[in-house]
Amino acid sequence: MGYRDHWSDMWTGLRLIVSGVKRYPRMTVIAVMGALTWMVVTIISPYLQKLVVDDAVEGNQPNLLLPLVLLVLLVGLIRASSIAWRRWNAFKLSYRFEVHLRGRIFSAIQRLGFDYHDHASAGELMARSSTDVTQVRLIFMMLPITVANLITMAMVGVMAFVLDPVLGMVAAITLPAMIVFAALYSRQAIGISFQVQQALAGMSRLTQEGISGIAVTKAFGREAREARKAQGVATDIFDKSMSLARFRSVYLPWLELLPTLTTLGALWLGGLRVASGEMTIGDLVAFTQYLVILYFPLRMTGWFFAELPRASAAAARIVQLLQTPPSVTSPDAPRPLGPGGGEIRFDRVSFSYNGVEVLSDLDLSIPAGSSVALFGATGCGKTTLAQLIPRFYDPQAGSISVDGTDVRELHLTDLRREVAVAFEEPFLFSATIAENIGFGTPHAERSEIVGAARIADADEFIRKLPEGYDTVVGERGITLSGGQRQRVALARAIVGNPRILILDDATSAVDAITEAHIHAELVEMMRGRTTIVIAHRTSTLLLADRIILLEDGRVLAFGEHQELWDNVPRYRQLLAEASPAR
Amino acid sequence: MYSRYGSADPVPHRMNLLRRAAKSARYMALPALGAAIAAIVSSMSRVAGPLVIREGVDKGIIPQDTSVITNVALIFGGILVAQYVSTRITLYMVAWLGERFMMDLRNQVYSHVLRMDMAFFGRTKTGVLVSRLTADIESLQVFATEGVISVVGSTLMVTGVSVALFVIDPFLAMIVMLLMPILVAISIHFGRRSGQAYRQVRSQVGRVLGALQENISGVREVQANAQELRQEERFGAIDQTYYQKGMAAAKTVVRYFPQVDTLRVVGLVLVLFIGGNRVLDGEMSLGSMIAFLLYLNWFFEPIVQLANIYNLLQGALAALYKLYGLMDEEPAIQEALETTPLAPEVDGRIRVDMLTFGYSPDEPIITDLDLSIPSGQRVAVVGATGSGKSTLVRLIARFYDPQTGGVSLDGIDLRKLSFADLRRAVALVPQEGFLFEDSLRFNLSFGRGEMTDDEVWEACRAMGIAEWVESLPEGLDTPMRERGNRLSSGERQLVALARALAVDPAIVILDEATSNLDPGTESQIEDALESLLAGRTSIVVAHRLRTARRADRVLVMEGGRVVEDGTYDDLAGSDGHFAELIRTWESPEQRV
Repeated sequence: MGYRDHWSDMWTGLRLIVSGVKRYPRMTVIAVMGALTWMVVTIISPYLQKLVVDDAVEGNQPNLLLPLVLLVLLVGLIRASSIAWRRWNAFKLSYRFEVHLRGRIFSAIQRLGFDYHDHASAGELMARSSTDVTQVRLIFMMLPITVANLITMAMVGVMAFVLDPVLGMVAAITLPAMIVFAALYSRQAIGISFQVQQALAGMSRLTQEGISGIAVTKAFGREAREARKAQGVATDIFDKSMSLARFRSVYLPWLELLPTLTTLGALWLGGLRVASGEMTIGDLVAFTQYLVILYFPLRMTGWFFAELPRASAAAARIVQLLQTPPSVTSPDAPRPLGPGGGEIRFDRVSFSYNGVEVLSDLDLSIPAGSSVALFGATGCGKTTLAQLIPRFYDPQAGSISVDGTDVRELHLTDLRREVAVAFEEPFLFSATIAENIGFGTPHAERSEIVGAARIADADEFIRKLPEGYDTVVGERGITLSGGQRQRVALARAIVGNPRILILDDATSAVDAITEAHIHAELVEMMRGRTTIVIAHRTSTLLLADRIILLEDGRVLAFGEHQELWDNVPRYRQLLAEASPAR
Repeated sequence: MYSRYGSADPVPHRMNLLRRAAKSARYMALPALGAAIAAIVSSMSRVAGPLVIREGVDKGIIPQDTSVITNVALIFGGILVAQYVSTRITLYMVAWLGERFMMDLRNQVYSHVLRMDMAFFGRTKTGVLVSRLTADIESLQVFATEGVISVVGSTLMVTGVSVALFVIDPFLAMIVMLLMPILVAISIHFGRRSGQAYRQVRSQVGRVLGALQENISGVREVQANAQELRQEERFGAIDQTYYQKGMAAAKTVVRYFPQVDTLRVVGLVLVLFIGGNRVLDGEMSLGSMIAFLLYLNWFFEPIVQLANIYNLLQGALAALYKLYGLMDEEPAIQEALETTPLAPEVDGRIRVDMLTFGYSPDEPIITDLDLSIPSGQRVAVVGATGSGKSTLVRLIARFYDPQTGGVSLDGIDLRKLSFADLRRAVALVPQEGFLFEDSLRFNLSFGRGEMTDDEVWEACRAMGIAEWVESLPEGLDTPMRERGNRLSSGERQLVALARALAVDPAIVILDEATSNLDPGTESQIEDALESLLAGRTSIVVAHRLRTARRADRVLVMEGGRVVEDGTYDDLAGSDGHFAELIRTWESPEQRV
């Protein structure tokens, strides 16, 4: 990454952070005001203490003592309430912004098409919506207090000058030096912590993989070797953590010591000046108090400026994601899908993926209500062809129409409601089986769900689950086998009664006997609706009335099984290769 | 059994947990003593500061004795040096102790997990184990390093400052001390409240991340079903709850600090007013009052820190509880204390004797099964899902021990064999060709441990994959991505088969992949399988007719029993389960 890119990234990120301020102007102002109030009273307090020491105690004016002390109390109470005021608003502001930002990221992820998700890493997308957002939130939360801190420090400098010009000079030099030192410290420490984090992530990866592969490890008795791998990772964590500890142990005491050193300087210089009558003892008390008060604001400010570049970079990554345009969108003025039985027409369709032409100039017409099987060697484009119909991808040239309407003129929701797909590797959500089956049709009745499950031959195994249709599956529930998942997905595809049903090798993990059951039921289901079956297995081919043989991105043959068997040598050859019995 | 260390119930016997942790760290006693001494010096040097300042004010500044002022400044400088050195040593030593403890714990827990039996992995979710080894140990880590420093440092500071206050002026000290119980009470209250609140925030963060993860993994289903808006609404609701939990936690913080601040100001007012009067009455020196003012800050800060640490401690104890719970689980499959050695030349005879087994004992998957497989026989096991065929082969590999009956290899019960002998004799190829995220070489030589390149290539040639390996960009060094992503499922299978061949086992157990392979690799796998199985006893869970046809013997399983047993031709000829199975398998060809 070039230097200029780096800076433009910073700006993009900063703009996002500033956009948050613009989004909640009132809350931001309130939070800054709260912080300022807090700071002002924080600064007044040592001055009042000075007055107590100098005027009341040293000046021997006992009648001044009570009013001054009461003033200290009042200022203290204001300080306490302003701290609450500032924090509450800062929390609220930052949490709101976080939730808002994550909502936008979520929405962007949901809208980016298949082409994007084919290449995106889930871990990266997770990082965008968790760690990156959190980083932006933290900096955002610190914004009001940092603004107030900077103002305060300027004011403290001024106050120090007012108290005593020489001590003011000491402050003018040491305060900025402390900020710089704190910033440098934080920056370096953040860098090393990042390495620690990476070492820790190594443990997570190792464990994840070790447990996924436990059967293999056990099968070959290689537990000791795996344990050695863990030793390597644990040692790495130890080493990285210790280099952080070494760094901290050297510089952290300095952070604490610098203000104390200034106290020492003040005490010595100031003490001499008090002794020679150039300064009062109360001034000295106030001055040393300031240094104590400023210790945390200084560190916070240092931390803020060290963290800012990282937060900006995180924000820039978020902006990049938010600005990625989805490749497939609904038209501005969608047309309604007219009545029809699901006739599909491909008109001179060409489609390339990653620069490789998958379909070229393909013409195809599938009559309403018919069932066809897509067949061909690996990479011939069967899955791609089917996925163009619900617009999971858009072709580069040509058009696809359903019942006479170009799919690009339809609203995506309308189109996808009528074109249902059962994937080969379906995904089940952490929800009940019933919810998973009704995922695309939220208003489906229980009886419809059960009906769909019956057709998919899933009803029987679902009923045997501990809570039947209300059993939670997926990440937080019970784990279904591959074949069971496919059957649930099949039910999900058919429950909405779609015009067009696409089965993408949807029974590959189902054993032969069960598959035969499903096929018997499916044939019923397919009656009166256009069905496209993507077949690897020969048995699946027989689900369809007709077979489309694809080769090199074109339709090589289209007809009934017997026809193709008799007339197309390539068909016989492919079938022979795929046949399980030979 | 599992709920024993679930997160639901509060941590009991916290002292026992800490004692056990301390006991396991006993070998670090000496460095710990050093760290403690450094911590004491560090706190004491901090406490000494205001005392020195008092001397400076009373003996130097007020009497206007410049030499005393300079001397005091020098002493103060000396104290600062001591403070720096001791703080530095404390920070480093405590970190070393904590990190060392964590490193050992990581190794112990991971080795222990690896020793556990397959039934354990069946009932324990991967996510739970990963979080034991990552999040739980990390939460201990924060406590073991920063937490311990804070606890020790804060306690020492509070004690030191209290003593110093009493030394300076017992009367004023008494009055300031009155604030202490209030501060402690609100701090404990805050610690509990915010602990609860932040635990809820964390678990809600977990839910938010879970929902995200799920929607990223399932984004194609969401789009295919046009459910984007509904998913956004659902996610929005989860995230909104996170906002509410976050604000509830913020409320505890927002309340607590002003309370502390108010107390602090009360303390300040007391010192100024009472102290001021005492100075005016001549009962106390001005330097003492200034020292008091300086101490006030340090008096409150440690207790506030302790309140924050309270939650860290709770979290660390909960993590320890879960980790020790895991460590206390014993693997169900263990090596016998006295093993019977297997002959160097393994014959490969298998006997299954009246075997009954169920993953939970009251639901047997396999019942009273008897089976004898002579050396060198190739057996195909077929049957519907749930008939017990995969379970049977896993029992033969001793992934589980049966409830009754037993399995013997060359006449020796599996439970009497050493693990090394068992793994040398029996190689199991699981259904899905799992590959480790390492080089191809690592994966091929996994079963043997160390193999020369020549040996690896020999195995590749024997499997007929040498040409394919040569075609890979980095040859044997080609990295295998997560779950072998870069390879097709067929290629993964090939590597898994070669991995088994490298061990040269007498018995091969194979759970055939159910999902379909591309026509191209299919025949390659057939060939590889032939070379692997030649001359060995083999038991194959067959999902393809072709695999069954090539076996010497076919076992048909149903409901945990062998219902048919014979050669392919015999069974195909009779009118039984197998004949019916062939019909469903063959149906496409029937129509041809």
